Amino acid sequence: MLALKVALGLGVWEICGDLHLIAGGALPSPSAILRQWWLDRDVYPKHIAATVVPACIGFLLGNAIAIVAAIAFVLIPALERLMRGFNITVFAIPPIAIGPILVITLPGIWPQITLAAISVYFLTMVMTLLGLRQVDPRPIDVIRSYGGGDLAILRWLRLRSCLPGMLGGLRVAAPAAILGAILAEFGSGARWGLGSFLLGSLGRGDPARIWGIGLAATATAALAYALCALLARRFTASSSIVTLAAGVARDPPRPTGWHRLGNIAVSLGAFAIPFIIWWAILFLSGLSPVIARTPLAVWRYLTEGPDAADTRTVILQALGQSLPWAGIGIALSLAVALGFAITGIIWRGVTAALMPVSLVLQTMPLVALTPIVVLVFGRGITTTLVVTVAVTFFPAFITIAQGLAQVPQPALDLLDVYGAGRLQKLRYVSLPASLAHVCAAARLVAPAALLGVMIAEWLATGYGLGNLLNEARGELDYGMIWAVAFVTIAVSVGFYQLVRLVEFRLLARTT
Amino acid sequence: MNTAAHPVRNDDLSLAGIDRAFNSEGRELQALRGISLTCDPGSFTALIGPSGCGKSTLLKIIAGLDHPDRGSVFIGGVAPLVKCREGALGVAFQDPALLPWRTVRQNIALPLEVLGRRASNQTARIDALIDLVGLAGFEDARPAQLSGGMRQRVAIARTLVTEPSVLLLDEPFAALDQILRRSMNLELQRIWMASRPTTVLVTHGIDEALFLADRIVVMQRNPGRIARILEVPFARPRHPDLFAAAEFHRLQDEVAHSLFVGAAA
Repeated sequence: MLALKVALGLGVWEICGDLHLIAGGALPSPSAILRQWWLDRDVYPKHIAATVVPACIGFLLGNAIAIVAAIAFVLIPALERLMRGFNITVFAIPPIAIGPILVITLPGIWPQITLAAISVYFLTMVMTLLGLRQVDPRPIDVIRSYGGGDLAILRWLRLRSCLPGMLGGLRVAAPAAILGAILAEFGSGARWGLGSFLLGSLGRGDPARIWGIGLAATATAALAYALCALLARRFTASSSIVTLAAGVARDPPRPTGWHRLGNIAVSLGAFAIPFIIWWAILFLSGLSPVIARTPLAVWRYLTEGPDAADTRTVILQALGQSLPWAGIGIALSLAVALGFAITGIIWRGVTAALMPVSLVLQTMPLVALTPIVVLVFGRGITTTLVVTVAVTFFPAFITIAQGLAQVPQPALDLLDVYGAGRLQKLRYVSLPASLAHVCAAARLVAPAALLGVMIAEWLATGYGLGNLLNEARGELDYGMIWAVAFVTIAVSVGFYQLVRLVEFRLLARTT
Repeated sequence: MNTAAHPVRNDDLSLAGIDRAFNSEGRELQALRGISLTCDPGSFTALIGPSGCGKSTLLKIIAGLDHPDRGSVFIGGVAPLVKCREGALGVAFQDPALLPWRTVRQNIALPLEVLGRRASNQTARIDALIDLVGLAGFEDARPAQLSGGMRQRVAIARTLVTEPSVLLLDEPFAALDQILRRSMNLELQRIWMASRPTTVLVTHGIDEALFLADRIVVMQRNPGRIARILEVPFARPRHPDLFAAAEFHRLQDEVAHSLFVGAAA
């Protein structure tokens, strides 16, 4: 039955492609893609290797740091609070924003390695930390009653019980590493790599080749996911679905007896540490200050000198062009995702059908497929919106649907006792319970939305922050590259904090 | 049974003037006030009282898992934490608290590993303990494969693996049904009599307390305090027929009376 459907789909696709029925030939037929693959068979291994090798190194590096960090955070809770600013910043960085910086400051394949590592760090760190924290408290008492301290608890209990969460994180991190490596290639001008290949082919406008590369990139990411999933299954009997961590920013327990002053100091430290790390890395790298701009240098670039006012205007203008679309994309994705998730409660078939698709698509390097969207939708605003919604909808849907699935059964049973219908259950239980998850989804997809908008601008529309960054990169305008990256990250972090604030209000009211 | 062969080296327990308060949302909750209690070596004491009277907190303080604001705790003349590191304490909770990835044998061996002792040369002892709690044949089973009663027995065996001189039991059978609970009470008595560790049992069950203990400490709440101490005169080993004896029922009523009268006051 499934084979028949697939065959039918391929048949329709073949006819549409051969007859140039869709978007004036932007969708090539499967046979045309296969033909092009065959013609490109000599270069594919080199391109794939050029992406996969740095992705693997970055995956190992980023995850090693993430796991060590998670262990340190669980042993020293104050350290996590101190590093919160750093963690959130790493999470909120739209990869494309710092791609050019990495390319101008790092040699060889290090920009790809670094971006891959940054792409996996937060995911693995959060999932590992959740696993380390969410241990059964009673065995802790058992170990303590034999004089075991924090290290003994870590060794006998936490390390083992965090495995499912950690491996779940690695599974989602694997395709993220591939995507990170591809995105670094977009700005690197490197000869080899799937991203470079894709970018080079976009100029020549050969649909069959662009689709072929897109499918190859997707297959590579899927393979990375499958390998990690296999590994995870060896260690855990449970096959619980682990996705992008929805519970990202649960605050660690506040140390009791801490001084108010101490709290303020930690908060200030958390704010300052991303800047200190930025500064320290540049200082240790010994790069020329012309290329490597410190926080102070970026601030000066934006505020001092005769051109500062012009620079600010240009950046603000670009922000004004990009932000509305990111906002619209987020709002649209959340609204549609919430709609589908709620519909899924009333008609379970909707979630059952959408969830597997979403889980698969979420691991696809969707952003890297922007050239295909350009091919189909042209270089207008539609492309921006399609890319943004494509990268945000699936994680949003998964988060909200999983949140709704976690609504406590006794609450629903209680309504059943009074003969409530599905709509009433929705109104009294599911909807109020889903607010927090909508917020979590918004937090989760905001950096992705900004990334989607900027990629579309960079590759296609020629507006906004993405375009500004691309131009600055082309002209080697180092000041502008740093300034745009800084502003973008600041906006992304700002948005994250804003949603957190709303979330706190909601949670304070409901719990 | 080779646990019985060991010479009795059980510790006494002494609590003096224990105060413990908790802060919840700005309100101070006096969990324990002025608790003083001594338990002789090899005695069996039951703590009984309404929810919130601080009996579990008291047990945690004895086990060194919590610390009093005022007052002192000594086990065999030293602080609980010192005894913890010697493996002199065995603690069982309402929940068996087994590690799901370890087998029965490995779960029982956990305290030895935490204490840094070699578990490998204790295999015979561990198997004897498994036998003692009636789980022979399940040595390599994992907790998920066991029933609730069996898991609780694994937890009991785990508390005994270090040959503790003090046994602290926090409602270890509360999650079991009444029938299973009775048979576990019988087994606990048998196991306890084999080595006679100084035991403190926290329970909600008056019958359980009467059947197992030498004396019953009745507690009251707000603040958590000792209301009354009753001696239990029955000879050991106690037989299940005791549950039907007239004297048993008289004492049961007496404990119930001091529980409810105290609560109403």
